[in-house]
Amino acid sequence: MFEDPLLLARLQFALTAATHYMFVALTLGLAPYILTTQLVATVRGDRSRMTAVRFWGGLYLVNYGMGVLSGLVMELQLALNWSGLHEMFGYTFAAPLALETMTAFFVESTFLGLWIFGWDRMGRWAHLACFAVVTATAYVSAWWVLVSNGFLRNPVGFEMVDGVAHLTDPVALMTNPAATMAFGHIVTGSLLVGALVIAATSAYHLVRRDDGHGVFRRGIRYATLVLCVVPIPVAVFGGVQFELFGQAPPTSGLTYTATEIEAIESAAEDGVLLQAANMTGDAVMMTAWTLMFFLGPALLMAWPLGGLDRWRWFLAPLVFTPFLPYLASVGGWVFRETNRQPWTVVHHLTTADAVTPMSPGTAVASFGFFTLAFAALTVITYWLLVRYARRGPDGGPLAEQRTGEPDDPAASDGSQEPAAPVHTF
Amino acid sequence: MDLLSAALLALLVVGYLVLAGADVGLGMLMPHVARGSTQRRRVVAAIAPYFLASEVWLVAALGVLAGLFPVLEHHAVAELWPVLTFLLAGWLVRDAGLWLRARVDGERWRSACDGAIVAGSWTLATSWGLALAGLLTGGLTMNPFTLLCTVTVIGLFALRGSAFGAERLVGPAACGTDRDAECADVAAQSTRLIARATLGAAVLTAVSALLPDGPEVAGLPALALALLLLAVLAATSGLSGPMLSRHTSAVAIAIPGLLVAVAAPLPWAPVPSTTAVFVWATLVPVVPVMFIGQVWLYRMTRRPADERTFFA
Repeated sequence: MFEDPLLLARLQFALTAATHYMFVALTLGLAPYILTTQLVATVRGDRSRMTAVRFWGGLYLVNYGMGVLSGLVMELQLALNWSGLHEMFGYTFAAPLALETMTAFFVESTFLGLWIFGWDRMGRWAHLACFAVVTATAYVSAWWVLVSNGFLRNPVGFEMVDGVAHLTDPVALMTNPAATMAFGHIVTGSLLVGALVIAATSAYHLVRRDDGHGVFRRGIRYATLVLCVVPIPVAVFGGVQFELFGQAPPTSGLTYTATEIEAIESAAEDGVLLQAANMTGDAVMMTAWTLMFFLGPALLMAWPLGGLDRWRWFLAPLVFTPFLPYLASVGGWVFRETNRQPWTVVHHLTTADAVTPMSPGTAVASFGFFTLAFAALTVITYWLLVRYARRGPDGGPLAEQRTGEPDDPAASDGSQEPAAPVHTF
Repeated sequence: MDLLSAALLALLVVGYLVLAGADVGLGMLMPHVARGSTQRRRVVAAIAPYFLASEVWLVAALGVLAGLFPVLEHHAVAELWPVLTFLLAGWLVRDAGLWLRARVDGERWRSACDGAIVAGSWTLATSWGLALAGLLTGGLTMNPFTLLCTVTVIGLFALRGSAFGAERLVGPAACGTDRDAECADVAAQSTRLIARATLGAAVLTAVSALLPDGPEVAGLPALALALLLLAVLAATSGLSGPMLSRHTSAVAIAIPGLLVAVAAPLPWAPVPSTTAVFVWATLVPVVPVMFIGQVWLYRMTRRPADERTFFA
């Protein structure tokens, strides 16, 4: 079974994409909260809120690092293992990805560098502006990627010239419902991931009555509001997309005739594994959503009674709730992507034709290395995230340095020059 | 529009080589220039602000390659699949080392991450050498030219890294004790040695290019670029200390990129106009932001960071 390069390439891409998305979702979910907190902190000169920015920002960076690593692998893997897709749909499918790399990732990574290294080197408004750019470009990035992904589901706006798709209508590409609705679904879903990570971290520290800066008191209130408001739009944006399933894309017939399409689809209707993955993805997503849907009102009811700060029995289980949005996210992607099979581009290109012809040996070597590396890096990143979340605001990677602190890692290196911050909150 | 798009691709690749050459090269030289944990931290602190802003050039180049030049991309993937997979592996290992190094306070952890940075940097430089040879000969073949070309490219990365290190590793007395040489001095002294070695490798590469089975490159531009490379390397090997090596190493490492752009036998297809207009119309408004971010980051971090940062 594992000698088939196509199966390996598919499995490898599924694992890469799922891993990448788990980190992307937290990036998208945390960024608006950090930005808002930093805005309030900057306007008011509020030191405790800046402590919160440093704390959540530290988690953001640990998570972002793995997001970048998996994103790099994903981009190159898409080119290396799926050359059939690029050959035929380079000008349509990959053009938005080209724009993603330049208008979003290029800017995002550069300004994140400015934000990381700018704490003590620029004015507080400039520093805030850097994170505003980071947040905006993170969302622009998600937008372009979903324009590409939506194109696979519902290919629009092109004509076929000698077996190569040539873009004719960029507006149709950008307003593709398979892309816009997915963007809405992803944005709202990511906010849930961010909110529950914030809720879990806050609950962990509130149970221990360890909230000297008010970081977690504010965190759990933010999470409560998001959990009350966002689940409905998540379901709406997701539900609208069900209408697209089974619908022939407007460009159907440009590559294959209706009879050929039917023949391809009926020949592929035996994937038991695929069916099982598809149904599991759907079930996991729905179950997790239902549980999250009831979590918001429960938190809201506890709020006026003071339960959000005091009830240990109520807060303790919240620590484990981030599993819900993560399971829903991965389940949702599995559902969406397996639903498209046997097509890579619906009614135009089958997955078997999209894959790069590879020898089994190289496919196994590439699959083995990247799967192992990803497993190790994912485990390390989540271990670090949990560790930093538990340490709290004083132990984060961006925490302000206090000289003479015994657990200061720089001190053991012998470089004990104190930082001279330009602004101190 | 075609020419403009091709120029964009060339600019992104050359930009990557010049900017990332510095931090990749310094990563390669870390065992040589840094003794002890303090100096190694200093090297990582010099690399860290740049790798974020330099690797994005390659990501952008890959995006442009896929979106505007799928025929060329298909050629590169078909000819260089193992090299590019190797490159990706090196990139992943190196970046993982950089991102994770400061996360755990332990000597063994830091050593492992430093090892990943060094190994990844060498893998990257080697892959680029192989990729250059593969693109120039129109396919990866095992011959003297491929070998010498790879050695030359590794030398160019190392030269760029040592020039970068000579400039950025300068610091207060905290760097190194009395017994150890200042790491910036070690890097500065290396520029001359590396330039000489690379010059030798480049001459041999040029000679081996004339052998049968060599690169399918001919014409005046290729000859001019090859001569420029030799001249620049000769100039660097004669200079005492780093002096102009910052500029000469930048010119030297840009030449492989330019050589592929003007002289390599690459398949070429005109970019369909709608895609080109779509990409350019979206890209142009963002160019100022990209430019400001890059210039700002490079200017802001000119001063070496002594305080603890996220990465080191």
